[in-house]
Amino acid sequence: MSDGLSDGYVLVVAEVRRGLFEERNLDTIGLGKFMQKPVCLLLPEKVSGVDHTTIGKVIKAETEEGNFQNPLTMVSILGKVFESYGRPEYVLFTHSSSGAECAAYAAGSFALPLITDVNGWDRDTGTFFKSYYSDKVFAQCKAAAQPSILTVRSGSFREQVTREASEAAVESIGAFAATEGRAFVEYVEEAGGAVDITKADFLLSVGRGIGSKDEIPRFEELAQAMRAVLSCSRPVVDKLWLPKERQVGTSGKTVKPKVYLAMAISGAFQHIAGMKDADCIIAVNKDPEAPIFQYAHFGIVGDVNKMRDKLLELAKNA
Amino acid sequence: MEIVVFTKRVPVTQEEELRILGDGQSVNLSKLPFRMNDWDNYAVEEAVKIVEKGGGGVTGIAIGDKEADEVLRRAIAMGAKDGILLETEAAPHDPFARAMLAYNFLKKENISFDAIFTGVQAEDDQFAAFGGILAALLKAPFAAQVIGTDTVEKDHLVVRRELEGGLQERVRVSLPCVLSIQSGINEPRYVSIMGVRKASKVERKVLKAAAYAEDAKSLIEVTQWVYPPKKEGAAMITGDVGEVCGKLLGILKEKGVYQ
Repeated sequence: MSDGLSDGYVLVVAEVRRGLFEERNLDTIGLGKFMQKPVCLLLPEKVSGVDHTTIGKVIKAETEEGNFQNPLTMVSILGKVFESYGRPEYVLFTHSSSGAECAAYAAGSFALPLITDVNGWDRDTGTFFKSYYSDKVFAQCKAAAQPSILTVRSGSFREQVTREASEAAVESIGAFAATEGRAFVEYVEEAGGAVDITKADFLLSVGRGIGSKDEIPRFEELAQAMRAVLSCSRPVVDKLWLPKERQVGTSGKTVKPKVYLAMAISGAFQHIAGMKDADCIIAVNKDPEAPIFQYAHFGIVGDVNKMRDKLLELAKNA
Repeated sequence: MEIVVFTKRVPVTQEEELRILGDGQSVNLSKLPFRMNDWDNYAVEEAVKIVEKGGGGVTGIAIGDKEADEVLRRAIAMGAKDGILLETEAAPHDPFARAMLAYNFLKKENISFDAIFTGVQAEDDQFAAFGGILAALLKAPFAAQVIGTDTVEKDHLVVRRELEGGLQERVRVSLPCVLSIQSGINEPRYVSIMGVRKASKVERKVLKAAAYAEDAKSLIEVTQWVYPPKKEGAAMITGDVGEVCGKLLGILKEKGVYQ
């Protein structure tokens, strides 16, 4: 076993996209720090944007990003890390497309406990908070064995990141080839559309709660009357009510308008992540318990379609 | 292609107030409507589309109580050829235990398949883990968050995975494989009440899940249910529809986005 890693270290598996260290990694590093454990960061060959003063040790897997973010290769890499450095107490992934994919595959391969979408940690009980039922309740979860694998919700622990006395040492654990079963082909950019919602000062954003596609033209009319740009949440795009270019959220666009008027959007965290930095968030929803009211500056409980019609009437007569 | 789709019956909670019972011991789901997990709709649709084009069949599988038969009927109404219920009054909550149960079933019953589809995640527990764990147990390749099946060949698929910020990743996956299917990949077909009624005439196998419980133990436990911590929250605007709309326009004017 190599030196420098005590029992009970936390292995943070980096998410790297097109050579860049994703900002979400600060939440996995932050959780390790919050638990006061030595943090060891696992990286692929080529990556920029890592602050080596925030971690205890860096392990490099000599492999391309496309292999590193491949769950089949990741399991080989983790096996080698466990063999070389001993098993960590926790293996942390970002709760992202690739993080969740690799975490689940690793949990199955090593028969380890898995808790996903972790957004909090309770020091007294050692339990992790995990969201259920679209953030309406949280469960405090405990793993029966170690190591356990966690995926960490973006934005949850980044303020816990602290600096170490010195820069992390970097060690290589060797090369890893592409796997037979799955191979990276290429990145594909979704085609851009005619409208850029990231440039708007005022977004009128609609969710599935408006009821049906038939309601969309009236919202378009309202957006026009108020000189707002129409955007939406993911379910509206999935249902083909509006094109993908209008989608706000993790898998869509991140927006920062002066005013974000959310109508019939309940506020899944993937949506919140895309609009929480708006100067002013106004939420209209018929469910008083909708999570979006926790993030909004102003809230209105009511029927969105009735409000839309009234707003349209007032805006037109103004 | 023979495609197995794992589907789940979940409570619909979007516009419901959820109450925690007994000092954090459980969540009251008793009055909620249930339906097929939304992501599984897309998974079933994608499987049916593939076999409609290239031949083969789709089998729907659910783990749950008798009521879970509802999602199998729906899958059949959408085009699956049959359905199997792994019946248990207490379906394991832990995705590892669920996946191990599914793995034991597939092995013991010698179920052959070219691909297994699941939804990316279940609406209720949001684990996004069952497919990945099952793939690893089967030692099969896995791809999550699949938003397009571009190429379907005898021995492999080329699929697009959804990443973040409008980026996708194209990967080649050998068969047999496991895919978790993302919402928005297709437009799930409309299922009428008549369609479901007709589907209920197709026989669904019911097998006791207990027969496949070996090593399907939970590796995590929920010690307590809690409400999310309250943030400062929104300043609520109240009044009749005319009043709240007037106040809303006032705020927009104040913020300088509306004249």
